[in-house]
Formats: sequence, C-alpha cells, structure tokens
Amino acid sequence: MKTRTWAALIAALLLLFAALALWLSGRSAAGQVANIYIDGVCVRSVDLSQLKGPETYTVETEGGQNVIQIEPGRICVQEADCPDQVCVQAGWLTDSTAPIVCLPHQLVIRLEGSGVTAAPAIDGVSK
Amino acid sequence: VKLGLANIITVYAMFTLGPGDTLCIPLARVFLGSVFSGQMTSLLYSLAGGLLCYLVMLLLRRILTVKQIWVCSVLGAMAHNIGQMAVAILVTGTAALVYYLPVLMVSGILTGAFTGLCAQFVTRQLDKITAHKQSAR
Repeated sequence: MKTRTWAALIAALLLLFAALALWLSGRSAAGQVANIYIDGVCVRSVDLSQLKGPETYTVETEGGQNVIQIEPGRICVQEADCPDQVCVQAGWLTDSTAPIVCLPHQLVIRLEGSGVTAAPAIDGVSK
Repeated sequence: VKLGLANIITVYAMFTLGPGDTLCIPLARVFLGSVFSGQMTSLLYSLAGGLLCYLVMLLLRRILTVKQIWVCSVLGAMAHNIGQMAVAILVTGTAALVYYLPVLMVSGILTGAFTGLCAQFVTRQLDKITAHKQSAR
C-alpha cells in the first residue's frame, strides 16, 4: 500500500477514536450509588445522595492500600501507595461514564444507578 | 500515558534484526520492568500488550517499506493498548473499562507516530553509516 493510503487510514482511525472519546465524556448517566470493587467483587456500596457528611474509607488489598474519600454526590481516591497513582489523579467521580481504576490493587470504583448485584455483569454499553 | 521512547528500539529492531532477536527485546523489558518495580500483576498487562504489539508488527513488516516504518509503530501501539485493556478487563472483571479505550487509542496513535518516525530516522541514518563504511572498504 502507498504511504498516503496508510496515512489516510490512520487519520481516519484517529478521528474516529477522538470523536468516540468526546462522545463518551459528554454522555453521563445518572449514578448515585458508589460501588467499590476489589478483584471484581463489590466490597462496599454507598448511596451518595443519602450521605450526611464526608467520610473516608480505607481499602486494603494484597498490593497495598487506597484511601477513598466519600462526599455527598462524589467520591475519589485520596491517597494510594500504588506506583502510578492513576487512581488518585482520576479525581472526583461524579457520574457513571468511566470508573476510577487502580490496576495494581485491582480496585474499581463505579457510580451506578442502583445497588449492587453480585458482580458487574452488564456494562454501560450493553444496557 | 507514557510516550514510550524505548519502543523506538523495538520498532528499529523489527526492521533490521530478525523476528527472533526482536522478540527478546519486549520480553526482556517487560520482565525486568516488573522485577524492578516489584509489581507482578503489571507483568501480565505488559506481557499481553507487548506480545500483541509484536505480532501485529511482525505481520506489518512484510507489507511495509522502509519509508512506512511509522505506520508499523502506530498500529503496534494500538495493538499494545488493546492487549493491555483486554487483560485488565479479564483480571478486574469490569467491562466498563472499555470506556478508556478511545482515549488510549488517540494517545497511542499520536505517541506511536512519534516513536515510529524516530525509529524511521534512526534506521535511515544507520543505513547510511553502514553503506558509507562498506564503500570505504
């Protein structure tokens, strides 16, 4: 194939994924229940609309610990001893678009519309 | 999100050394990386990404010319992200991680193009040097 063909193909892919990323970030479903998963198992579920005041919750896993800050309407990882700190830098979670993930500790925090089913079987796409 | 400058070496090796020698580079990097960071779970993510990237680049190597090395790098970077994402979804059992994929893809294409262009220049310059040495002999 010609270089120009490849360049066009890659530019098209770039536009497609950029559009997809924008579309996903603009779309936010209502989610008021924060579910904290370790290894795919929900260890705690907090209804953010029922919460009176801020509280912290520390999760201990084999990999280390994450200090989770919970406030009415939002949740974030305040501190973690993982090497990359992606979960901390994710900031406040206020909608169900993308979860906060700490891969080294296999921790996932998601906002969902309702309480927890045993395991997150259905994702936002298949709904 | 990292720039992945070390991948210049892998891409360069893919076009100058054989497939077997090239395979050793990501394997050694992944292994040493997880040993020294002490994160054995990250070994799994990196390995899946590295191997998928390697396979895609191996296939592309046959149909691309020396001037199209950057294409190989871009598609390799995308394969790397897909591999890591697939393992992350399996390990955490969280399909919603797919939401991160578009962002990863955009960054992968951009950084892949950059590292690919670097590898292309390296290949071209080193070819010149070897050609020069041979003509001087």
